[in-house]
Amino acid sequence: MPAALILILALAACAKPQEAPPPWKIIDASTLKAMMASGKVMSVFNTMSEIECLDHRIPGTKCLSCEEIENSAAGLPADRDQALVLYCESEGCYRSCRAADAAIHYGYKDVSILAGGMPAWKKAGYSLESVERIPRMPVVSVKAPELREMLAKSKDILLVDIRSEKSFQEGHIEGAVNIPLYQITRRYDEIPLDRTVVLIDDRGFRTFLAGSYLDRKGLKVMRLFAGMRGWQEMLAKKS
Amino acid sequence: MESGQMNTRAPRQSILSMAGLLFLAVIVLVCLPAVGRAANPQDCQFCHDEPLYRVDFKKSIHANNGCTSCHTDITNIEKHRDGKEKPALVDCGNCHQDIAKEYRQNFHYLQEDFRCSDCHRNIHAIKKDDKKNIKLAIIGKCTECHGNADYTASGHGEAVLKGNPDAASCADCHGLHNTRVFHTSLEQYPAEAREFYTQKCKRCHADSAMMKRNDLSDKMVAYYESTYHGKVQELGYPAPVAGCADCHTKHNILPKDDPRSSINPANLEQNCGRCHSGFQPRFLSYKAHPDYRDREKYPSLYWTFLFMSGLLVGTLVFFWGHVILWWRKVYWDHHYMDKMGILPPSLTATGEGLQQVQRFSPRERIMHVLLILSFFTLVLTGFPLKYSEAAWSKIIVKLWGGAHMAGLIHRGAALLLIAIVAYVAFEACKFLFPKGVGSKGWLKRLFGPDSLFPNLKDLEDLKGMFKWYFNKGEAPKFDRWTYWEKFDFMAVFWGMFAIGGSGVLLWKPEWSSYIVPGWVMSVAALVHSEEALLAALFIFTVHFFNTHFIPSKFPMDRLIFTGTYRLEELKEQRPLEYERLVAEEKLDGLKRGYPGIPLKLISSTFGLASLLLGMFLTALIVWSILAV
Repeated sequence: MPAALILILALAACAKPQEAPPPWKIIDASTLKAMMASGKVMSVFNTMSEIECLDHRIPGTKCLSCEEIENSAAGLPADRDQALVLYCESEGCYRSCRAADAAIHYGYKDVSILAGGMPAWKKAGYSLESVERIPRMPVVSVKAPELREMLAKSKDILLVDIRSEKSFQEGHIEGAVNIPLYQITRRYDEIPLDRTVVLIDDRGFRTFLAGSYLDRKGLKVMRLFAGMRGWQEMLAKKS
Repeated sequence: MESGQMNTRAPRQSILSMAGLLFLAVIVLVCLPAVGRAANPQDCQFCHDEPLYRVDFKKSIHANNGCTSCHTDITNIEKHRDGKEKPALVDCGNCHQDIAKEYRQNFHYLQEDFRCSDCHRNIHAIKKDDKKNIKLAIIGKCTECHGNADYTASGHGEAVLKGNPDAASCADCHGLHNTRVFHTSLEQYPAEAREFYTQKCKRCHADSAMMKRNDLSDKMVAYYESTYHGKVQELGYPAPVAGCADCHTKHNILPKDDPRSSINPANLEQNCGRCHSGFQPRFLSYKAHPDYRDREKYPSLYWTFLFMSGLLVGTLVFFWGHVILWWRKVYWDHHYMDKMGILPPSLTATGEGLQQVQRFSPRERIMHVLLILSFFTLVLTGFPLKYSEAAWSKIIVKLWGGAHMAGLIHRGAALLLIAIVAYVAFEACKFLFPKGVGSKGWLKRLFGPDSLFPNLKDLEDLKGMFKWYFNKGEAPKFDRWTYWEKFDFMAVFWGMFAIGGSGVLLWKPEWSSYIVPGWVMSVAALVHSEEALLAALFIFTVHFFNTHFIPSKFPMDRLIFTGTYRLEELKEQRPLEYERLVAEEKLDGLKRGYPGIPLKLISSTFGLASLLLGMFLTALIVWSILAV
């Protein structure tokens, strides 16, 4: 009997401590669709940048980039008790989780994020709406080793890093300028028309749309394949 | 007459009024839709009057569709004109249902929100072109954005550009409308990607007709599948082994003699080095697509295969013959004895005859149990790899926890078996060269009656048995060990030499490269595999017959587990040994008590379980051999 007790206590002591669950709720695409159809009072925000959000978003939702949410609660509803749903475009909850964190911090009680983001919404077979569609242009991609060679040979290249200010400060390619994507509509004219622009982001997923947008503004654009992740992997391999 | 006149006037008036009404109705009908009517093409083109819509669209494949059959959300042209109604994103899946279903898996849709018209430009002017080279069009489209020179400078890309209709375009490997991406970092990819792409390569390179057209071998896929890489991949665990693209690279696939090719001998160190490390240069002579039937190119494999096959067939044919004839003789004899009501003496033993005497010491019994356990473990972890295409293999490997885990357990059981055999070899040395006596008279001991080494008497016994099978003589009188027991014992030593030696070489190929070149790995794998088949089939059929199915012992002989049997049985089965023990006065020292119930139960259970498992595995193995 005492032996059994000791054994049980020992097993309990060895048990893995549970990771604390996040302070926001996680809902799936069909739940969100049902919630929105039910007429419940709620605000659903697309946390991507404005140009991405206006290009494609879940119908009936609003645009408010996660950087803007982190900067201030101004864009969020005044009623802290109102249900908030935040979603973004990654399957791994990058931006919507950051935004949800900020919202909790501001005191919103009912915050949810969409599991799997917009890709999950699409996989479930639901449609999106487009307010201001950006026509896709053939934006050429270069891989990290190629880019390094190009930088060594030519002074014409301008590296434009479209990640948020915080990510840029944590580490960027030497000589890159930071124009976060959520500010692009106000700042694209800072980019000279006679330089060849190479767009850089986290993983390479967002520079295509950014490039199509800037191409329509008359700029010569290319993009870094796999973004900073590709660049860092190249550096890691060399060492 | 008056009425007649009036009659003619009334119809004319009514016709006129009818016509007037009709005219009014037409006007109303024509103008009524203008109040809130849907758009027809002429209306749209009133504002959207570019040549693209007025001219090109009419020549396009969609010309018979109205504008709103795709731009479905426009219901009221006035509202649209005033900006209150905008068309939704077009869903081409309304008509192109199958493609839309595939497209929902497409990376470009899920992550980049590409729509059909983003690639099919300009969608309003698309024409059907039966003469178009689809593959060329695909490469042209993909490289608009993915402008990597790797793709088109050589290999498949170059072949397509030169007009080869068989070579793979981007879509053949990556999918056309269901393009998938496996969150790959650039140069290494996870298991799903390797599995996905390897299947794509196999699809064309195993197609005989296509390979013949292009003067290539259609057997390369089969040869790959016969190697360790191919078998583990087949089992469903692509992560730790090379798929096609790991060696041949993804895009600039070049033939071996091209100096830039990843499989050119000069580049192999870097190529193989992406997964293997710590090997000697001779490691690189490994053959990734061996053909054991090719005498010119792979002579050692060929002759090894002939030898092992000959050994297998020869051994099994001889012993199955031996088994069948023995069974026939014993069954017939038992039938006659039964008919005449005669019981075998061992069953009617009394007095002294009932005394239990030891045949196997406790140590020997434990070692035999360990041998059984390690043998079954080796078979259960090894045969799924040998027959990796079989459905049962995948189930068993999953039960072990995957191919890697099965491999570790296999090596663990092998260590146990090596330990057992090493211990037995040590005991054999002690028997041949006992303490205090040394090598004096060792030959006499080697060929003596207590030895498990074959001698001339065994040959006599063999001849005697065959005569007895055909009712041409008495059954031979045996001493301690019969020739079939000696064969069982010595065969393990041969087996350990072949399977153990090859197994050690295969244990970690990088280490083996310090002593043997890489091409030896295929030979080792062949020896290992064929010897395993011989050992398994022999044990599960011949050995199990000797111990379980021979009618005098059916369902099993517990002796090897309990260690003792009746004196009467000793007299009956090993008469010469009995006489020798009596003469040397050793019999008393072998007397033991009757085994208890627990020991008997455990022995029977363990023995029968082994029998059933062995029969089940034999069935699976035979099924796999026949199914190939």
